[in-house]
Amino acid sequence: MAMRIAYALLVAILLPWFSARAAEPLAIITAAANPLDTLSLDDLKLVYLRKSQMDTEGNRWLPLNMPVTDSLRRDFSLALFSLLPEEQEDYWSVQYFNGISPPKVMASEEAILRFVASTTGSIGYVRKQKVDNRVKVLLLITLPTAK
Amino acid sequence: MRVLTFFNLVVAALSMGSVLAVAADDDVESIYRLGSGYPVSETGLRIGGYATTKIGMPRADPWYFDVSDLSLFLTWDNGSRLRFFSELEVGDVLSAGEHQSLGTQKAHFEFERFYIDGLVNNNLTIRLGKFLTPVGQWNLIHAAPLVWTSSRPVATENLFSTHASGLMLHGSVSVANRQLEYSVYGDISESIDPYRSKKPFENALGAHLRYSLTDTVQIGASFANFVLNDLPPTRYNLAGLEVAWSYQKYELSSEIVYRTSDHTNIKSTWQSFVQSVIPLSQYWFVVGRYEFFEQPQDKPGQVGLLGLAYRPLPPIIWKLEYRLGTNNETLAADGLAASFAMLF
Repeated sequence: MAMRIAYALLVAILLPWFSARAAEPLAIITAAANPLDTLSLDDLKLVYLRKSQMDTEGNRWLPLNMPVTDSLRRDFSLALFSLLPEEQEDYWSVQYFNGISPPKVMASEEAILRFVASTTGSIGYVRKQKVDNRVKVLLLITLPTAK
Repeated sequence: MRVLTFFNLVVAALSMGSVLAVAADDDVESIYRLGSGYPVSETGLRIGGYATTKIGMPRADPWYFDVSDLSLFLTWDNGSRLRFFSELEVGDVLSAGEHQSLGTQKAHFEFERFYIDGLVNNNLTIRLGKFLTPVGQWNLIHAAPLVWTSSRPVATENLFSTHASGLMLHGSVSVANRQLEYSVYGDISESIDPYRSKKPFENALGAHLRYSLTDTVQIGASFANFVLNDLPPTRYNLAGLEVAWSYQKYELSSEIVYRTSDHTNIKSTWQSFVQSVIPLSQYWFVVGRYEFFEQPQDKPGQVGLLGLAYRPLPPIIWKLEYRLGTNNETLAADGLAASFAMLF
């Protein structure tokens, strides 16, 4: 009985924390001047796999990532591909053999905001509360629970 | 050992250069990472490649050792609609054998690939230059660090030229919410490739399709009509099918090619293989392969291969395998082989 009460208490304490994380949206952003207003999740996948090379205006997509160890990058990778970054390394080895580089890696969310604001065709992700008027939100993604 | 030392020096030199390049920038990818090449500052240039060493002990032939490939990639992509890629290969850099002392006497250079891509739109890219012939999947990713065995299946190289030079239209389109990748090419190797490959095309026309049925299953088909640079000059038609399944670290793949000719003395030929990869642990894998191959001047051959692969990091792989078959002396002889390969 005591064990059951302890378990129920543990669930009650942890559930709001996990729910809060699961509900935290991620904003997919591009430059405020970009005429594109929305992007589907399937198109976003193709952009981050470097299979989609150009936007509707004919500009080259320049996708941006956070470093592999960053929790935002790991959550984004799980949300988009259901894979962690290290589980995609085989894919990127094959692309490297074909002369295709993976998305550019930036040091922080602020770095992504600065780069996106000033570079045509660039696309990145930051937490929704970090978005400001330098950029435009194309899509909101609800993050899965961190692995 | 000398080669490894050389690589250590190269990596150390590149790493020192990258420290200077990083500076106080927001971009953190200027640091050299094994298996990704070295980005030269913000120029759009990336330098990399791969290396392979192999020891073979065929059952009926002398043993041999060679640094079989040292390939250097040079990529240029500055975000415009044009990009460039080249792969310069130094083959048999260093070799030795039962009847040959260690030396560089077999070393040779070859441009494996050399092309410019022009992006027309999101679905179409025009490629001009020398590229890998899109027949099946193995030939398109044949680099030793990307495949599980030291030897390649006969069906992936025996009936066609592994390279083509000319014009290719390629890209992908969405079909039923899945990607269909296509390539259509015309080859005029005879006219434009000064460093001609082994058994090159004189000319060719071909196409390749690859479709993702699900996230884990891809199917593909190839067709080529070509004349090989051979005697007598003969026109061939080749058709191929491929399928690949992968789930987590399990893999199953197969390719089949069938070739006919307009020459009455050259019989129609088909060749195929099926290969499976099973993970034993995070780094160890067991590989099994069965091959069947008809041969223009011999009885049909068969080969079974059992191998072990150790991959401590994605760009590095050690392989050990034994091959045994019938009527396979010319194309895939019995014996033991071991190799080490690394993307750098």
